[in-house]
Amino acid sequence: MGTRIEAVSALTSHGLRKPAARRLADTAARTCLAHAGREPGDVDMLINAGIYREDNMGEPALAALIQEDIGANLGQPPIGGHGTFSFDLFNGICGVITAIQIESGLLDSGVIRLGAIVASDVDPDHHQPGAVLLQPAGGAMLLGSDEKLAGFTDFSTETFPEYDDLFASGLVWQERHGHRVPRPAAGQHEMVIEEKPGYAARLADCAEEASRRFLRRLGLGWGEIDLVVPAPSAPDFLDALVTRLGLPGDRVAYITEDLEGAYTTGPIAALQAAIKTGRLGEARTTLMLAAGAGITVALALYRQEPP
Amino acid sequence: MTETHGKQPDHWLALGPPGSGGSWGCRIESVGVKLPAQRLTTRDLMNRTSHRTRIQLERLTGIHERHVVGPGENSFTLAAGAARDCLAHSQHQPQDIQMLISTSITRSRGRFTQSFEPPLSLYVKQAIGAARATNFDLSNACAGMLTGVFVLQDLVARGEISCGMVVSGEYISHLSWNAARQIRSLLSRQLASLTLGDAGAAVIVERAPSGSGIDVIGFTTLAEHSRLCLAFPSTVGPGGQMYTKSRTLQKVAIDDMAPLVAEAIGEAGIDLADIDFMIPHQTSARAIRAGTEEFVRRLGARPKHVVVNLEEYGNTSSTTLFVALHKYLEEQRIHKGDRVMLLALASGIEIGMAIFTVDSQVDRYGHAH
Repeated sequence: MGTRIEAVSALTSHGLRKPAARRLADTAARTCLAHAGREPGDVDMLINAGIYREDNMGEPALAALIQEDIGANLGQPPIGGHGTFSFDLFNGICGVITAIQIESGLLDSGVIRLGAIVASDVDPDHHQPGAVLLQPAGGAMLLGSDEKLAGFTDFSTETFPEYDDLFASGLVWQERHGHRVPRPAAGQHEMVIEEKPGYAARLADCAEEASRRFLRRLGLGWGEIDLVVPAPSAPDFLDALVTRLGLPGDRVAYITEDLEGAYTTGPIAALQAAIKTGRLGEARTTLMLAAGAGITVALALYRQEPP
Repeated sequence: MTETHGKQPDHWLALGPPGSGGSWGCRIESVGVKLPAQRLTTRDLMNRTSHRTRIQLERLTGIHERHVVGPGENSFTLAAGAARDCLAHSQHQPQDIQMLISTSITRSRGRFTQSFEPPLSLYVKQAIGAARATNFDLSNACAGMLTGVFVLQDLVARGEISCGMVVSGEYISHLSWNAARQIRSLLSRQLASLTLGDAGAAVIVERAPSGSGIDVIGFTTLAEHSRLCLAFPSTVGPGGQMYTKSRTLQKVAIDDMAPLVAEAIGEAGIDLADIDFMIPHQTSARAIRAGTEEFVRRLGARPKHVVVNLEEYGNTSSTTLFVALHKYLEEQRIHKGDRVMLLALASGIEIGMAIFTVDSQVDRYGHAH
């Protein structure tokens, strides 16, 4: 029995002036459920892997709010019955692949029968020169079990902490001064995203090294990978990686133009492109790849063959 | 319980280990804690509110004092300190850890009051030398650490990993200071912010023979009540602000937790009276007493001991369960063979529980160690 991708959905804010991360994830989750012909109540687990939100709420987990918005098992728990367990996971652009690894394992154990993963980001409110710009986007995917499919068979996450300072983000407290500052507003938290020169190149280095090591461990050559589904971590990263690996363009699932700049949604957006063009269905062996801050590289192998 | 489609019986809780049993068991091998040296009494805190509140906080909550960070301390230093303490009580070396999950709500490090990338877990694993570990952060309000154990338990039971660590560093007392500037009366929705204390905690879980280790671990999210406790970055000072509808939260928790506890102890094949130590999330002594009495009324049995350590720590957020477990291990109040139930309650509303029997880990705690 393997973990099957039941449906994916990735979307942008369609030019909304003030898009909200929660609403993007809600819409993606509802669309995904409709694609799969599933009800919200079927979802046993909901993991949110998005990071950049308009309000930077610390608690509850955004996943709980999304669960409420889509109406997944909101009733009072009886003994027996059926609930949904939701939480947030932070692993940058690799978060979706980490969430797939967790839910795939729980599906295999029989602890859950249907897992949902959502991710969304909005462009944080920061106004620094050379700021990193994110495309507001949201995505969702549904994972179920399939006795006839190997599905997600192998995962790897590698970190390269020698490059941990190339990309960092967080909230910084800024005092506000002056007689016009209204009380009690004494300041505000500003999101700071710092990207140093050379980040994209090092991402490509690390992604190449980690993916070669991953395939070597599995006894696979690049010739046996029919499709690579890469998350577009940074501008120029993907071109550099594809060139180094010597991959022909028809074996790479590029995200659609409207989703360029999507962040944690990136892996889902790339999967959506692979599904819409029919290439995921045709590929026997697919490699999902994401590389982000840390530097962290996450990899997952998806096999469309009997287990 | 009835069998439905799929291979597991139908549960409200997402429940592990699977009924069929995994390839391996998963046991709690060691627990570590890092408490800041500096302490703040409830009297001192209430003397420093901007308005005269007349709130008898210590009498209401049972909290006499809490630990609070000093200069140079933050979420990261608390998490790293707890991870080191956990290793000091463990038979494992840092390089044995194959997965490390950081689960704090607060993620302060360096100049960031809340860091987002890279994940805090990366810095913790570097600090302790767990170079082999895969790492990521997880956030599930005050249920974060137990959620991390839930995730690791499945990976261990399936044989994916043999050793993992969950860690949390909660520098959360800034919520108290920010609330102290604004709070005016007992009716304030920031009242719960005054109960918070800082702490780091860590737990190592490891592979055990099949059928041993954690008997049951389960979770659910009662999302209809997701907005009863909300925390945001503050506008009155560095850190956060939290708004809680405490009475409603307590009522929902008491109403909804009993059937979930029944489900978990039923799955473990035991009775509530078989629990030697029930360690609930530490909010207020009154709330814990009321919750316990409701369990007793509904389930017809009483756990032998209900752990309350609020007097000296306050509510340390995602670390409360493991700070309490560590204290009872250090004081040698928990003995080999005792059955423990950890009971998480968090904003979401998240309800989680784990039942396990204490084994040889007690030998590495206490004065004799």
